[in-house]
Amino acid sequence: MELFIQQLVSGISIGAIYSLLAVGYALVYSVYNFTNWAFDGFMAFGAFMAFTGITSLFMPFWLAALLSIVLTVILSVGTEKLAYNPLRVRKAPRLFMMISAMGVNLATVNIINLIYGGTFRKFPVDNLQPIFIKGVSIGRMDLMAGGISFGVLALLWIFLYRTKWGLGIRASSIDILTASLMGINNNAVAMIVFAITGVLSSVAGVFYGIKYAVFPMMGVVTIKAMIASIVGGLGSLPAAIVGSMILGILETLVSGYISSTYRDLFSFLFLIIILLFFPNGLMGKSSDEKL
Amino acid sequence: MNKNVQFFRKWLVLLVIGVLLVSSLSGCGSKEKVLKIGYITEQTGVDAYVGAASVPAMQDYVDEINAKGGISGYKVELVVYDTRSEVTDAVAVAKRLMDQDKAVAIIGPSWSSAGIPLADIADTAKVPMVATTASNVNVTVAEDGTLHPYMFRVCFIDPYQGYAQADFAYNKLGLRKAALLTDIASPYTVGLHQFFEKHFVELGGEIVAKEGYTQGDTEFRAQLAKIKDSGADLLVVDAYTFKDIGLAAQQAEGLGLKVQIMGGDGVFVPELLEMAGPQLEGAIVTTGVSDVAPEFAKFNADFEAKHPGVKASIYTYYGLDALMAIEHAIGEAAKKGDVTPTAVRDALEVMTDVQLFTSVVTMEPDTHNPHNKPLLIMTIKDSQWELTETFQPE
Repeated sequence: MELFIQQLVSGISIGAIYSLLAVGYALVYSVYNFTNWAFDGFMAFGAFMAFTGITSLFMPFWLAALLSIVLTVILSVGTEKLAYNPLRVRKAPRLFMMISAMGVNLATVNIINLIYGGTFRKFPVDNLQPIFIKGVSIGRMDLMAGGISFGVLALLWIFLYRTKWGLGIRASSIDILTASLMGINNNAVAMIVFAITGVLSSVAGVFYGIKYAVFPMMGVVTIKAMIASIVGGLGSLPAAIVGSMILGILETLVSGYISSTYRDLFSFLFLIIILLFFPNGLMGKSSDEKL
Repeated sequence: MNKNVQFFRKWLVLLVIGVLLVSSLSGCGSKEKVLKIGYITEQTGVDAYVGAASVPAMQDYVDEINAKGGISGYKVELVVYDTRSEVTDAVAVAKRLMDQDKAVAIIGPSWSSAGIPLADIADTAKVPMVATTASNVNVTVAEDGTLHPYMFRVCFIDPYQGYAQADFAYNKLGLRKAALLTDIASPYTVGLHQFFEKHFVELGGEIVAKEGYTQGDTEFRAQLAKIKDSGADLLVVDAYTFKDIGLAAQQAEGLGLKVQIMGGDGVFVPELLEMAGPQLEGAIVTTGVSDVAPEFAKFNADFEAKHPGVKASIYTYYGLDALMAIEHAIGEAAKKGDVTPTAVRDALEVMTDVQLFTSVVTMEPDTHNPHNKPLLIMTIKDSQWELTETFQPE
């Protein structure tokens, strides 16, 4: 029982990281109908900016995290302006946006690799001792990461459902053309969506860096988040969170009780089965209602 | 035809005849018995450091042999060819040594990727080769289990380290319950762990948990929680990348898992200490020959004084090992009569308790690997490497 609870706790903490990333994917996908592969690079960028803030600029953690968020938002919005917007204006097929995103991703990861080198670095914050409850270890860092992740997601939800701008984004996600005819500023919506994406990837990158290590290829984990958002139901925020939790817990339970060697095999087999029965994901809706 | 061209042609013909005459005369002059020992190494390309560290030391040693009158009256010549760090070039220069230079034996290659194709070529040409750092099992023994009669090596094979680790853990540390955390995508890790498991169980130990992960994974808590539950007193992570053992140590600490952690030479890098020094306090990392070993300190200092700008490394040591093994084999062949490549091969195969540069070596006749090479045991103390001992399995 103790082992089971321990595995569950680990699974939830992994799911929390996937959630941040999955929501980022879901947000861009629901408004623009393409997968923002550049997310991977943004996440590494965010982690490296916070890392540099602490190690080279001797900032306290909170300031470095803030710097990371600001710079990642600039990168994300800049990418939208320079790489995605021109394609959208010229009515390029969605596929081209995805290729463009892959290019941005490769460029970001490789530039980081050139500047910092490919090695693994410890994020320079003290490791907090975990709390032990009846032999089950709960990481303080995990609690913090989980808390902040859900705090950020809650803020996002409030923004989307309780503000006028949020309404604009939701309207755009249903029909971007009609929304713009109704007076919603398309460019402003794009700026906001990509700014939010920047915040999410920076927060995810910093937490991932603290929990594991900082390295240029750290963003490969986003593929898991992408899968989680598909399983939950692509384009829906709550579904992305549910999908992430399912994937995180499923992975640890498969490792713990079936086989860690075949973890991905069993986890993804299970996910394929889910998709066979729920082709739109667990909470997927038809495309007329999103977010 | 242009007059100038004709003029040049005439001179060119005369020049060629002249060169041929001179070279044939000099050939007549030397009746001394000179044996050619080939050395194929990386002098240019990505791995140029291998040749840079080894060639000067080996040439010095050959000069020493000749100054002492050679090996049983035979002078030796070291013929060094550059592989340009490419397998195709390695094959080409090895063939040249066999067919044109008529080398009596060849040292090299240093990489398994060249060693595997060269083993067949050596067998066909019947010229023995002694690989230096090529550690893949299939360099000397083909995948179907047949021995390459003309291929030898002086380093240990990859999985041997797993065998020696099991021996050390069981006999020296007195540990009985081992858990393995294996990167299932890395042949290096899988090989080491197979040998570890086999020998540890043979000795009487128990493998209480066998957990896996895949290259690139960063999350090991599910596996570590199981390992904690299994009651293991030893955790073996012979990862290929230091990140894996570093993260495993951090997450083990987070889960309150307190065991002896052990890793192999794949993680013997300074970056590991920066990443997880405190979490790995007391952990053991095994490695083969290393320039940190105190017995090489004097050699390193002398070598670096004689060759400014060159630093001795394992490539220097293994190059000398191979050269000394061939020196021994030539001596044995000379005692029995003629020194031919085949006679040298026969002597290499039965080499027993011969002092080479790094250690006393006995060649295993059925695998052509050195028998039970010593292993360095490094312990992490205060986030620093500390050489605890040189361990040789019984």
